Amino acid sequence: MANSQIESGAPITLQELYPSSPFFMEARSLRVTGLLKGYSVETAIGVIEDGEKSLKINTQHLRDVSFRVGSVYQFIGELHIEPNNEARTGRNVDGIDINLYRKTIELLRRFLEVEEDNRNMVE
Amino acid sequence: MTRDIHRLTPSPTEANCFSLGAISWVSRVETVGTIVSRDMAEKFLKFSVDDGTGCVTCIMWLNQLTSPYFHRFDSSTILLHSRVARRQARDIRIGAVARVRGRVGLYRGGMQITATNVVIERDPNAEILHWLECVRLSRSCYRIQS
Repeated sequence: MANSQIESGAPITLQELYPSSPFFMEARSLRVTGLLKGYSVETAIGVIEDGEKSLKINTQHLRDVSFRVGSVYQFIGELHIEPNNEARTGRNVDGIDINLYRKTIELLRRFLEVEEDNRNMVE
Repeated sequence: MTRDIHRLTPSPTEANCFSLGAISWVSRVETVGTIVSRDMAEKFLKFSVDDGTGCVTCIMWLNQLTSPYFHRFDSSTILLHSRVARRQARDIRIGAVARVRGRVGLYRGGMQITATNVVIERDPNAEILHWLECVRLSRSCYRIQS
């Protein structure tokens, strides 16, 4: 029962995935959410969109997830600059309040940064 | 949040009691996150929960029928505990979002949760609400000097 070695997927919006972003790193574990715009059963590659941004997701390792174009999905996995991002988990999140989600991850990130700064000051 | 769970430090005087800083001693925690691993053993189910701030290992014991710990209970209670644990274990699958409550502890240098209750959250907004609640509690409760 050793401590979990799995890296946590940092929740981000697709808008935050640009080349100079701190999240834009090969093999970085991320949690992404978006509307499924397309899915290929042959290749198991899906494309999710959020606003004007889109992202390809390799779902070959996922089990017990049915993909329906037009539904909102959330994936946790590793970013690959080339060719496709690999998802370790995926779920349908139809009904998610996407505006609240965006605001909350921003709030959470700021909160965690302040906590980290305070912790470093104490140490 | 899981990040806080991994930063808990053991109490020098109270067994199975932990603190984040010099205030707010805890022995039980609740986390809400995505199940990212699942490993079934003979006597327990080990799984990991990712809440976006970190991953934490959780253990759900399934040995109620044979463990000496449960000898204090009558047989119908033991059977009930066993059935509930096994039902909850069946629902724990990779990709699902779960609310895990249990006792926090240190094992081989890492924090883990011995789960007493696991509920699968089907509301897609459950994690969002949990994050907001954690921020609120941190500001209003856990950071208040006792």
